[in-house]
Amino acid sequence: MGGIFSYFRGLLGAREMRILILGLDGAGKTTILYKLQVGEVVTTIPTIGFNVEQVTYKNLKFQVWDLGGQTSIRPYWRCYYGNTDAIIYVVDSADRDRIGISKDELVHMLREEELANAILVVLANKQDMAGCLTVAEVHQALGLDALRDRTFQIFKTSAVRGEGLDQAMDWLSNALQARK
Amino acid sequence: MYTLLHGFYKYVIQKDEYCVLILGLDNAGKTTYLEATKTKFTKKYKAMNPSRITTTVGLNIGKIDVDGVRLNFWDLGGQQELQSLWDKYYAECHGVIYIVDSSDRDRISESKETFDRMIGSEHLTGVPLLVLANKQDIPDCMGVHTVKPIFNQNAHLIGARDIMLMATSALTGDGVDEGIRWLVDCIKRNSIERPPRNHDDNL
Repeated sequence: MGGIFSYFRGLLGAREMRILILGLDGAGKTTILYKLQVGEVVTTIPTIGFNVEQVTYKNLKFQVWDLGGQTSIRPYWRCYYGNTDAIIYVVDSADRDRIGISKDELVHMLREEELANAILVVLANKQDMAGCLTVAEVHQALGLDALRDRTFQIFKTSAVRGEGLDQAMDWLSNALQARK
Repeated sequence: MYTLLHGFYKYVIQKDEYCVLILGLDNAGKTTYLEATKTKFTKKYKAMNPSRITTTVGLNIGKIDVDGVRLNFWDLGGQQELQSLWDKYYAECHGVIYIVDSSDRDRISESKETFDRMIGSEHLTGVPLLVLANKQDIPDCMGVHTVKPIFNQNAHLIGARDIMLMATSALTGDGVDEGIRWLVDCIKRNSIERPPRNHDDNL
């Protein structure tokens, strides 16, 4: 009986979730988007503007926006903040030099009122590279310990190997469903 | 005039807010406990299926209203490398819930060492502490009588704070209610030392 109920609940809960993929240039945002959508590693060029795709993950539909991450176009991220359910923030774990910039952008972004209810997923990407930051280091470098009123989770990922993305999407879909 | 009315409205409506940390080793059941607590104290809350809860690397939050106050929960990851991040939250919390996996005899001493490190922190002095012997639904787990002496060994570190050890099962929800109500009483009593966080000040 419970099965029938949850089946119908599943049908009702099929609203498309709006997700933004953000992060510095070269973090791997576009690779992640297409890895999620077509399951393959595609050759990407730096995104100027955005890519938007519909991604279906375990019966949940997501509208995923991948915004360009270069310095000059980061100010335009905010134009996309409205009605966002979740943010996937991608960090290049091998880029120790720019993790500070990544932190500043993240802090800046999380101050926006429009994103107050958005769930945050941080992907510590490029874990396949030698000498990359660990999860705890990413946590600290991004200043995530200053967050008090937002659910977030960090995942180790390697977009090119396809590692960690499933766990991240699993967690995200659970968190989004529990939030309602 | 507006300020006056607004102030009065706030005085009547606004609840004191307190923050509670949920700590313990990985796989102790912290996130499951948080879900069980939300289910107990929030009407119409649809809990996440426990089988879908994964290892936390980050923060889960929760808000409940109980006995006239609001509790904000911070559920942190318990893995070894993440334990170094706990102390960032100590200064701002009003209570700590430490969760022990009573079914894991191999790691009980590790849990105890982590517990000692935590209560040794000066930022937690005097903060009420609820220790939960979780997973009581598992047959053959250690009961309160076994767990209690282990965590009582370093009484000098505990000092003058309120401390209580209870049996719970986050999975079935047993013992969740009693624990939270005990903690709320202690937090209220301790509010002279640690006043509630006023929400307006933080915005």
